[in-house]
Amino acid sequence: MSSSPIGSGKRPGGPRGSRGTGLSRRGFLRKGAAAVAGATGLAGALSPLRALAPADWPTLEQFFQSHYKEMTPPEKQAVLERIAREVKARYQVDAEIDDPPPLVGVEYVYALNISRCIGCRRCVFACMKENNSSRAPEIQYIRVLKMQKGSIDVETSDHHYNPPMVPEHDSYYMPVQCHQCKKPPCVKVCPVGATWQEPDGITVIDYDWCIGCRYCEAACPYWARRFNFAAPQVPADQLNVNMSYLSNRPRAKGVMEKCTYCLHRVRRGRMPACVEACPTGSRKFGNVLDPDSEVAYILRHKRVYVFKEEVGTLPRFFYYFDERGSRYREPISTSQPGAEL
Amino acid sequence: MEQLDGRLKSPPPTSDGRRAMVVPLVLLALGGLLAADLGPFASPVPPPTVVPAWAVDPTPVRRPSLRPEIELAGFTYRCSDCHRLFASPPETTRSLTQHRDIVLDHGINARCFNCHHLTNRDAFVDDWGREIPPDQPQLLCAKCHGPVYRDWLHGSHGRTDGYWDTRQGPQQRRKCIECHDPHRPPFPGLVPAPPPNTLRMGDQTSPRSEPAVGSPLWVYGPGPVDVDRSRLSEGDP
Repeated sequence: MSSSPIGSGKRPGGPRGSRGTGLSRRGFLRKGAAAVAGATGLAGALSPLRALAPADWPTLEQFFQSHYKEMTPPEKQAVLERIAREVKARYQVDAEIDDPPPLVGVEYVYALNISRCIGCRRCVFACMKENNSSRAPEIQYIRVLKMQKGSIDVETSDHHYNPPMVPEHDSYYMPVQCHQCKKPPCVKVCPVGATWQEPDGITVIDYDWCIGCRYCEAACPYWARRFNFAAPQVPADQLNVNMSYLSNRPRAKGVMEKCTYCLHRVRRGRMPACVEACPTGSRKFGNVLDPDSEVAYILRHKRVYVFKEEVGTLPRFFYYFDERGSRYREPISTSQPGAEL
Repeated sequence: MEQLDGRLKSPPPTSDGRRAMVVPLVLLALGGLLAADLGPFASPVPPPTVVPAWAVDPTPVRRPSLRPEIELAGFTYRCSDCHRLFASPPETTRSLTQHRDIVLDHGINARCFNCHHLTNRDAFVDDWGREIPPDQPQLLCAKCHGPVYRDWLHGSHGRTDGYWDTRQGPQQRRKCIECHDPHRPPFPGLVPAPPPNTLRMGDQTSPRSEPAVGSPLWVYGPGPVDVDRSRLSEGDP
């Protein structure tokens, strides 16, 4: 009852006795080992940073860069100049980086004639070239689905087809890319506001603001968003030097990217690269607010199909048909090539 | 007393210490493992895709001159240079002695003078026997292909090159024969550009055009549908 722990003499390093120093021998060993292990683990986890060249360390201005929408014009100009310097350092080319504003009174709409598309994939590669898409790992914004005639079920489509010649007689082709929805689910899910819809209808990404969570990729019903799983590789001699902040400037590892209707081209009045490359003229692009435009005529007069209309995203990308798919028909003539009638 | 009881109830200090050391030791081992260089990282990234120059060439598939000219032995002649001397028999369906390179495979439209003017060989002919200038072939094609001509006029058929915004730059509408060979009109087949080679797309070495075995597309998809071809062809003569 009157015996005190100090007086017991049995455990001089006991909890009571250690009050003076605050640490027992065992406690010291335990905490010390944990600290060493923790420090070693931290060092191990950080060890990939050793592979980072000093030039690749993020600079202060990169670190404190504002969101695209919050940048003042001088800040934006400084950022564009910084990106140009980075491109120069990385690719040894002088890039012209710009940030063309949306045109007033313009809403872009895309129409694609699936009666005429032959699935030659020229659009896919024109897009890669124009948008400085990564060659390894490969990133392509356009996926050309080979569909079975008589079916509109994309679950049974195939985009790895590789016959010696297209079109194949039992198939039709449906290229899918970003639909630039009026109610974009990808924008809705972005937790940091790194992607948004511009006034002309193009959904864009601030690559410097994206945290790479890939929610938007999961939300997109058209599988239109791509993620840079590794550092994108583009040969310097194939780099398209006409760049813009929101579209085809070089991306970094760990950010999302997507089709922007070639924003840097269309805001200067030009056609997107995929339209320009299409040998069949199946791809149509224009301002839907202009009643005389090709796309306005197509929407008014042709049979138009909205892909996954039921998901309610109101795409600005439409598929349309001709009255008769004449190219699928066998030639009416019975004559053999070279035979005279 | 209560404090003493508490101490007596606690487990023997030696075993407690050993157990407590396990966690830091495991952490230490893990940390050491992480810090040690475990050899180069085997990247699953495939070799870079080459963008073939032929696949990004925006040149139209045909480059007709839209002039009534023919190249023979390095010289350019107007059609009328010969045809004002040598009259062709009208309504010919016989073997030709000239223009043997032209294979006329245009369906029931199998006579030269359905399109070419009988007396003025530098022009095409319309339904009333009047001349259509050779640089306006769409007026000729419109004789039979009305709906396509209507679509072409409004831009829903055929290529539109140049600028979508004609205030900012020129725009060209490609004419019929800049894509279609008038003597054999179906759009020619093309060699497709290479298929995608992305990280998550299964076995790319499979020669089949269906998703490869083991591909997620194959495992979870119901597989290709069997479309009843006979039923289709009935409704689509």
